[in-house]
Amino acid sequence: MECVLLRPVPEPPRTTHTIEFPYTRTLGPVIGPFLTGLRDQRILGARTPNGGVLVPPLEWDPATGEAIEPDLVEVGPGGTVETWAWVTQPSRKHPLDHPFAFALIRLDGASTGLLHAVDAGSMDQMRTGMRVTARWKDERIGHMTDVVFVPEAAA
Amino acid sequence: MSAADTAPAEDGPVTMMDYFMQLEYHELLCPVVRRYASQLLEGRLVGHKCPSCGLVYVPPRGYCPICVVETTDADEIVLADKGTVTNYTVVTPVQYYGQEETEPFVRASILLDGEGGMMNLQDIVDVPVDDVHVGMRVEAVWKPPGERNVDEISNRSWGSAEGCIDGWRPTGDPDVPAEQLRDKAF
Repeated sequence: MECVLLRPVPEPPRTTHTIEFPYTRTLGPVIGPFLTGLRDQRILGARTPNGGVLVPPLEWDPATGEAIEPDLVEVGPGGTVETWAWVTQPSRKHPLDHPFAFALIRLDGASTGLLHAVDAGSMDQMRTGMRVTARWKDERIGHMTDVVFVPEAAA
Repeated sequence: MSAADTAPAEDGPVTMMDYFMQLEYHELLCPVVRRYASQLLEGRLVGHKCPSCGLVYVPPRGYCPICVVETTDADEIVLADKGTVTNYTVVTPVQYYGQEETEPFVRASILLDGEGGMMNLQDIVDVPVDDVHVGMRVEAVWKPPGERNVDEISNRSWGSAEGCIDGWRPTGDPDVPAEQLRDKAF
């Protein structure tokens, strides 16, 4: 049998360049109220002329191009997981610093799935079709990360 | 800019959001640049002299882009750490995000003595900005050996000696006439 010795190889010198762009974006007539709603612990959707409710809201119905109804409607805070993927090693830009699921969540009253994080504790707790509900941060600034979802049983 | 600048009023509508984009590049230094960096740490400026046309590249690139020939360690020469300002720009800093300078400063091109070699984007120190001029004789201000680093050296060869040379200060020698510097700056 051949024996192979693995020696530690010194890492070649490398440099790090960091480029930062601190943009500020205007939110517009639909996303602005949507994020205002999140700050106020309300999840809002846009009604389309044919009776659908888009969450997150858009300014136009992607199916027909028609403008949405002017008033947003409240949905959730509960919903159903339509599909999900477990994140075993969150990156520093992920919404949670421990393993979690990214899930498409059909909130009660919505006709589309919202992509968001489910803080389920472990992958065993995740099921397609499971019920989840919103868990709000104490300090909310009007941002998508003001909320994460948790299994309804744990809420 | 901070999050506080654009944070919404406690109860007003949210109309803006911070969108902080950050790109982090990790780059392995190529062997030619690694050698340049290690020489800098020793207090030596080195370049490659093209075996075909004789132009000196500092930092070395490992090739002469004009002659399209490879240059190697065999073409390495130790360069002078004195030279002459061939052109310069006075930068008046605008206080954009990330700008650390507050007062006008100089970025100069310096033609090194002897074999030549052009250092670009160099800081001129120990002299008022208004007194910097073409033909001015300067010498490198090296950091003490224990304080040198090559963290800012990259593969893109922007003439950097940052981390090892703090800048270039006037020697007080007589100027080089500008006519002698024609076709030297690039």
